[in-house]
Amino acid sequence: MKKIIALFLALVMAFGMVACGGSNGSKGETSAPGAETQTNAPVTDAKGDAEVLEFYHGYYHEESEWPAAKVMRDIYDEFVAAHADGPVVFKPIAVENRAEIVSAQVAGGSFPDMVDMDGTIPQAALSQKLILDLKPYIDENGLQEAVGLNYTQNVIDGGIYTVHDQIETRGLWVNMDVLEKAGVTADDLKNWDSFTAAMGKVTAVGGDIYGYAAGQGSLKMMYAYLASTEEGRAILATPIDTNVIDSETFATAFKTIAKMDQVNGSQYTTPDVGNLMADFNQNGKAAVLSNGVWNASGIAPELTEKIHPVVFPGNVAMATAGTGLSIASGMSEERTALALEFLKYMTSPEVQTKIFLGVQANPCNTTLDLNALAKESGDPIVMKLAEACSQCNGAETVVSDVSYKWGGDVGNAITNALMECANAGTDIDARFEQLQKELIALIG
Amino acid sequence: MKKQNKKATPRRGKLGMDRKIFIVLFLAPTLIAFCTFYLYPLVTVFFTSFCKWDYTNITKPEFWDWDQLFNNYKYIFETYPYFWEALRNSTVWALLGVFFQIPVATLIALAFSRKVRGVKVIRNIYIIPCMISSAALGMIFLQLYSPLYGVVNPVISLFKPGYSENILLQKGTAFWAMTAAYIFFTGTTTLMILGNIMAVSEEVREAATLDGASGLKQDFYITLPMIKNTLKTVSILAATSGFLLYNEVFFLTRGAAGTYSISYVIRELAITSPRTQFGRANSVAFIQIIAGMLIILFVNLVYELPSLWKRMVGGSK
Repeated sequence: MKKIIALFLALVMAFGMVACGGSNGSKGETSAPGAETQTNAPVTDAKGDAEVLEFYHGYYHEESEWPAAKVMRDIYDEFVAAHADGPVVFKPIAVENRAEIVSAQVAGGSFPDMVDMDGTIPQAALSQKLILDLKPYIDENGLQEAVGLNYTQNVIDGGIYTVHDQIETRGLWVNMDVLEKAGVTADDLKNWDSFTAAMGKVTAVGGDIYGYAAGQGSLKMMYAYLASTEEGRAILATPIDTNVIDSETFATAFKTIAKMDQVNGSQYTTPDVGNLMADFNQNGKAAVLSNGVWNASGIAPELTEKIHPVVFPGNVAMATAGTGLSIASGMSEERTALALEFLKYMTSPEVQTKIFLGVQANPCNTTLDLNALAKESGDPIVMKLAEACSQCNGAETVVSDVSYKWGGDVGNAITNALMECANAGTDIDARFEQLQKELIALIG
Repeated sequence: MKKQNKKATPRRGKLGMDRKIFIVLFLAPTLIAFCTFYLYPLVTVFFTSFCKWDYTNITKPEFWDWDQLFNNYKYIFETYPYFWEALRNSTVWALLGVFFQIPVATLIALAFSRKVRGVKVIRNIYIIPCMISSAALGMIFLQLYSPLYGVVNPVISLFKPGYSENILLQKGTAFWAMTAAYIFFTGTTTLMILGNIMAVSEEVREAATLDGASGLKQDFYITLPMIKNTLKTVSILAATSGFLLYNEVFFLTRGAAGTYSISYVIRELAITSPRTQFGRANSVAFIQIIAGMLIILFVNLVYELPSLWKRMVGGSK
């Protein structure tokens, strides 16, 4: 009996090894489970008479939790209704783990039909040509202005593989009331030296008052600091390498922000800025918040008059198209056509207006007059959003968020180092040296 | 008796082969499922840990050349900045599972086994927090540890006036703060131990009482030895769950202040890194598997120590 079971196990083991080591044509190669490139086989609807185009997005939240999610779902549903009688059924699916879904499918040699991507485009998806190049469609249909920043920022080897319907635009939000208490003026926020001194003054006020939520926000400030000098901008334009890590500019940026964080205090440091957001938006305790223009919708009505958007010191703003709508290559003509139609729909002035007014995000379509739309709406939040967008769009230096280029692991390592430096007594120079070693190892 | 044996012998002989096929057929679904869902991934993890497998060749992992076969392991052991920290942390969490969590759970289970008024209510109250997911617990502890409105800093301030630092960002304290966020939640383990304590027969207890062993003495000399196998099982479970800790790291520190865990490292390499380093992640995963087996061996050894000791002492005598 034992022999039979042992034989059975050995056979399965051998099968596993053969399957694992199976050659794909060249010696020394082995295929991952389900690794052959798959075509996106059409799924049919419940009746079985129409193809289905599945679209994964991240707006799964309850309306009470995040009203913008409902606005986005309504936008998707309108498209579904408009194409209900077509040969392909458009099926939006709200999920919490888009990155994992994409990663798992790419590892298996496939890509979701259509996805509103989160994070960076997996290099593996590009190398396998799993994603459709959208540039020919954008050019043929004259959608350059409709996709806005995507057209210049999202070019990879001459192609565009993702279009984000919202631009991730970042600057600072300041509470003038708190700043005045500390004797800080708007002019003090215009360069990094005076800004750092200003945050020190705010901390000196004491009590409940503090400078800003450090940690996640500090990373963005460090990138903004880099963008304020020519050398820094050159660094942001390149992939991270040993030259960047060993450069004086990179060191200065890290140490400046780390020193500022240490003065600010570790009690106001968090890996997720959301943990301390209420201190700024609701309670009026923090002087500054490093967050995107979308923060306009989170400000308590009683603080609306006191809170204003400004650009980063050095007249810098961040505007990143980032990742958004991506379409699988290799689908049937009908499904591809519908996916591209959806892209056109999402970047159309009508939908972009809804995104601006309802989602309260910076739309990608550059033909919209945001100030006019805001005035027309009369909504103070939208007016604040328009103010933030126009400040950032008009900044002397507008850079994209380098996190998308350098990757999450690099960003995490820098954030962790900055957070540890926020502790009183941490040797910033020593921690920076350790960070350099970590980064060099990570990119190795 | 003899007659029955005579009948049984030919039946066994005659049906012997049929019986074997019968057993194999019954075992087959489980064996197939085991091989498909456990053995095959294990084998894949092992082989691909010797492969170059990242974003450049995601569908075609390639074995490193013979002279570079251990490249992934070399990178993990010599270059990757968080591996040793993660291995040390995960190992300590595994050991704490065996030497702290299980004794605590056992003591609580022994207390719950006492027939005192209200014990059932307390038992239920004790179990409720253990139903909360570790992710939710992570969020709860994030609030508890908040230097602004948490309950921990005011306590520290009693001994260190004016203390206002974030304990989750300080090396050393961050590790213990994270440990405290999971180690006291021993509900399932306690229930398993309690179930076995309750299963110890009344006769045995009464006999022990008659022999003069009662209370703690009875627990120590009668109850605990009788549930030794259960203690061994829950120790293995506690050690492996400590070794695989992930959610707490993600929610509390994201690896800051020396709190990386092996599971967190695997995710960093495979998912967070834009370079999708599956080969390297699988080398860490294989180390994790080996470490898991060593943990099981270690726990077995720990539970065999008393009898080994007895044998050694007996032998020397």
